[in-house]
Amino acid sequence: METLHFLLGGFAVALSPANLMVAATGAFIGTIVGMLPGLGPINGVAILMPLAFALKLPPETALILLAAVYMGCEYGGRISSILLNVPGDAGAIMTALDGHPMAKKGLAGVALSISAWSSFVGSLIATIGIVLFAPLLARWALAFGPAEYFALMCFAFACITGLMGDAPVKAALAAMIGLSLSTVGLDSNSGVYRFTGGNVHLSDGIQFIVVVIGVFSVSEILLMLEQHHSSSGLIQVSGRKLFNLKELALTWPGTLRSAVVGFVVGVLPGAGATIASAMTYSMEKRMAGPDGHFGDGDIRGVTAPEAANNASAAGSFVPMLTLGVPGSGTTAVMVGALSLYNITPGPALFTQNPALVWGLIASLFIANVMLLVINIPMVGVFTKVLRLPNWTLVPGILAVSAVGVYSVHATTFDLMLMSGLGVAGYLLRKQGMPMAPLILGFVLGDLMEQNLRRALSITNGELGILVESPISIGLWIGAAAMVIVPPLMRLRAHRKVAAAAA
Amino acid sequence: MSDRILGAACLLAGAGMAWAAHDYAAPISYEPVGPRAFPLLLAALMALAGGWLIARPGPQGFGLGREHYRSIGLAMAAVFAYAALFETLGFPLATAVMALPIGMAFGGSWKQSLAAGVAMGLALYLMFDKLLDVVLPTGLLSFVLGGR
Repeated sequence: METLHFLLGGFAVALSPANLMVAATGAFIGTIVGMLPGLGPINGVAILMPLAFALKLPPETALILLAAVYMGCEYGGRISSILLNVPGDAGAIMTALDGHPMAKKGLAGVALSISAWSSFVGSLIATIGIVLFAPLLARWALAFGPAEYFALMCFAFACITGLMGDAPVKAALAAMIGLSLSTVGLDSNSGVYRFTGGNVHLSDGIQFIVVVIGVFSVSEILLMLEQHHSSSGLIQVSGRKLFNLKELALTWPGTLRSAVVGFVVGVLPGAGATIASAMTYSMEKRMAGPDGHFGDGDIRGVTAPEAANNASAAGSFVPMLTLGVPGSGTTAVMVGALSLYNITPGPALFTQNPALVWGLIASLFIANVMLLVINIPMVGVFTKVLRLPNWTLVPGILAVSAVGVYSVHATTFDLMLMSGLGVAGYLLRKQGMPMAPLILGFVLGDLMEQNLRRALSITNGELGILVESPISIGLWIGAAAMVIVPPLMRLRAHRKVAAAAA
Repeated sequence: MSDRILGAACLLAGAGMAWAAHDYAAPISYEPVGPRAFPLLLAALMALAGGWLIARPGPQGFGLGREHYRSIGLAMAAVFAYAALFETLGFPLATAVMALPIGMAFGGSWKQSLAAGVAMGLALYLMFDKLLDVVLPTGLLSFVLGGR
C-alpha cells in the first residue's frame, strides 16, 4: 500500500510538463542513438549527461532524461538490426538473426512493429518488477555497514569481470585502471594530494564527465573509422505495417517468458542486455523445437530477444537505486551523473529523496508508452536518420561531446585530458579490454576506499571485520563463485567441443 | 601491440603508482588506514594482472588494420587539435576546422566536410550558447558574436 502511495507521488513528479517533455525528448534521441550502429546506450547517456548538467536541469529531470535515453536505445537497436542486418547496439545482435531475414521476405513492417510491441511488454514487466522488488531490497540494504558495502562492491566487480566473457584478466585490469583514476586528486580524509603531479587542474580529481566522454565518445569515434557502415543495404519498409492477432498469439508466451528472464538477468550486476537477449533467443529456439525456423525469419526470434533486452535494461536500475552499486556501464554513468548533483544513490535514497526515486520509476512507465507510440507509426522518420552520412554525423558527435566537457569547468585542460583518455581508451579497447569495468571502477573508487577505511577504523586496523557478518561472508562467497565458476564452465564447454571433434 | 606489451605497460604503471604513493602520509592521522594504503593495493593488483598477461598472453594480436593507420592518425591529431584550439579559435571556427579532416576520414569530400563543419559550428553555437544558455567560447569571432 505504501508502495502504491509513493508510486502515485512519483507519477505526480513524472507528469509535470517539464519532465514529460524531457522524457519525450530522451525517448526520441535514445531511439536514434540506439539505432546508429556503433553508438549504444552507454555512449548516448555519456554524451547527454554533461548537457543535462550544463542545462541546469534538476536532478530528477536529468535522471528521467538519461533513463528515457537508455530505454530508447534498447528500442532503437532493433531498427538497424532488422533493416540493415547491422545491430544498432550490442543488445540487438540476436534480433538481426531473424529480423533481417523477415525484412528480406518483405515483412519488415511486421518485424518492426511486433518487436516494438515486445520491447514495450519487456520494459513494462521489468518496471513492474522494480516497483515490487526495489523497496524490499532497499529496506534490507539499510542494514549494510561499511564492511558489507566493501564486500558488495567487490561482488559487483567480480560479477562484471566474471561475466564479461573471454578476457577476465583484462576486465579486472580495466577495473583497476578505473579505481586508480578515481584516487587522483585531494584525499579528503588526510588533505594529501595524490597523483596530481602538482597540477592545479587535477587537484580536485579527474572530472567524471571527462573520463566518460573520453572513453565512450572519443574512442568510439576512432573505432568507427574501422567499421564503416554504408546505408546502401537498407531495406525499404513496404507492405503490411502492423502485426496481426495470429502473430501476436504465437509470440505472446515467449515474450512474457523472455521479459521475466531479462529482468532477472538485468538485476544481476555485470550481466546485461547482451547476455539476456542471447539467453532468451536460445531458450525460445529450444522450446519451439522442430516447428520453428529460427535463423530464417521466425517471428519468435525477433520478439524474445527484444523483450529480454528491454527488460534487462529496466532491471539494471534495481541494484543502482537500491544498493547504490550500478551493475552495468550505463547505470554506472547515471550514478556518476547523480554524483554531480551531490546525490549518492543507495538504500537511504528511498526515504530521503522519494521524489527522485519514484519520479524515475514512474517516468519509466511513461517513457515506455511514449516509445511504443513513436516507434510504431514513426519508424519512417528514424530510417531517414540511418541515411545520414557519417561525415556529418561523426563531427557532430565530437562537437557535442566537447561542448559537454567544456561546460563543466570551461578549461582547455579538460578537453586535452578528454582527448588523451580517448586515445588511451581506443588503444585499450583495440587490445580487447572492456570499458564498462573501468567506468564502474571510476564511479565506485571513492566510495570503495571510504568504506574500506571506515570499516577498518571501527576495529582500529583489524582486517577481520571485513568477513565478520553473515551478509559479507555471503557476498565474498558469491564474488569468489563469480570469478571461479564461469571460467570452469567455459573450460568444460571447450572440452566437450574437443571431445565431439575427436 | 600484443598482450605482452599491455602487460608490461601495466607492470610499469603499477610500479610508477607505487613509487609515487610510497610517501603519501597524513600530517595528523585520525584513522588507522591512511591515504597510502588503497593506491598501493591497486598498484599491486595492477602489477599482478600485468604480470599475468606477460606470462599468459591471449592468442589474438593487435587488430589494427594497416590500411586505417593514416586515417586513424589523422583523426587522433584532429581530436587533439580541436581540444587545443577550442578556446583560441572559438567554438564555431574550431568545429569547422575539425570537421574537415574528420569528415574526410569518414568518406566525405573536402567540400562536403567543410560545409557540414561550418553549418554545424554555427548551428550548435546558436543552439547551445544563445538558446540553451551553455556558454561557449567565441575566440577569433568574438568581434561578431560577442563573448570571448
